[in-house]
Amino acid sequence: MNSSIFKNKFLIILLIIILGFFLLNVFQKQVRGFFYSFSNPIQEQLWRAGDSTSGFFNSFGNSTAQIEKLSSENQKLLQETALLNELEQENKELRKALDLELNKDFSLEMAKIIGKDISQDFIYINKGLLQGLSENMTVITGEKVLVGKIVEIYDNSSKVMLLSNKEMSFDIKIQKDNNIYGSIRGNGNFTLTLDLIEEQIFENDIVITSSIGNIFPEALLVGKVREINKNEVFYQARVAPFFNISQAENIFIIK
Amino acid sequence: MIKAILSIILFYFLTLIQVSFMPHLAIYGIVFNLVLFVIVIWNILESSDKYFGLYQAIIAGFFLDIFSSHFIGYNIIILLLIAFLLKFFLKRYVRIPLTKD
Repeated sequence: MNSSIFKNKFLIILLIIILGFFLLNVFQKQVRGFFYSFSNPIQEQLWRAGDSTSGFFNSFGNSTAQIEKLSSENQKLLQETALLNELEQENKELRKALDLELNKDFSLEMAKIIGKDISQDFIYINKGLLQGLSENMTVITGEKVLVGKIVEIYDNSSKVMLLSNKEMSFDIKIQKDNNIYGSIRGNGNFTLTLDLIEEQIFENDIVITSSIGNIFPEALLVGKVREINKNEVFYQARVAPFFNISQAENIFIIK
Repeated sequence: MIKAILSIILFYFLTLIQVSFMPHLAIYGIVFNLVLFVIVIWNILESSDKYFGLYQAIIAGFFLDIFSSHFIGYNIIILLLIAFLLKFFLKRYVRIPLTKD
């Protein structure tokens, strides 16, 4: 008798726990949103403190700040080159077809990174629905380096899937005399793989976004080609992304 | 009860430190998991016939789930499993002064 009461109690508790988890997952957006709403300011402070701490440790390594500055300048120059090539290409096409629409300037919203997912390539930013953001918006840095896209949105924060996330795949191009088009996918842990490239590519080639798949705007910097492999038909390469989470202070969302 | 409330506060802040501070201290892309470390240490040091370490694993897992992309319950299961296995092996196979009462 006693053991059957005990068994019933155990089953009831187990059912309540399972139901609890089920409800938490059904309403997970609301549950997460509730916690994010009051955690944002603390996370901002912690992110800033982490940034200063890593900067302090990096300062032991000689001229790290200078390297960061040069790297940032380099990215700006690369973007300018990419833009110039783009303009040249556009100019050529304009001469061919006068009805070509010019690219409109981006409308940008500035945000700060406040956290990073512990196991996957997602980051959290301090802007959300109330600042006019929505899902699938593109996130870039001040140097027009691609960061990723918004996948979940809350009142005052958003979750951004980084370009290196395993679920991320988009169209790119490598600027040459004849642009090489292909697709790139994330491997997680800030690495990318360039795949199905038919033409020859070289190390240090610059990879930029292509608007073919309508996922990201044209000509955003993605990364540099490293370690090229070739099978019978296609080239495959590892790409080192330009986006560096520890160097990105402010990021921008293209509205 | 007070212990449980203190645990909730502790793991809330540890999780915030984990997601917002620790990524800056990554070595070759690997981020030290502070929350997991505390759970492991607690369960090693706690007497094997006490179970507060298991409750702590649930609390810590819940906060990690809130601030991660997995479904709610993912980290709870992982941490609970780690805590349970630690308790099981320490009770069965390890005899060190720390685990004796």
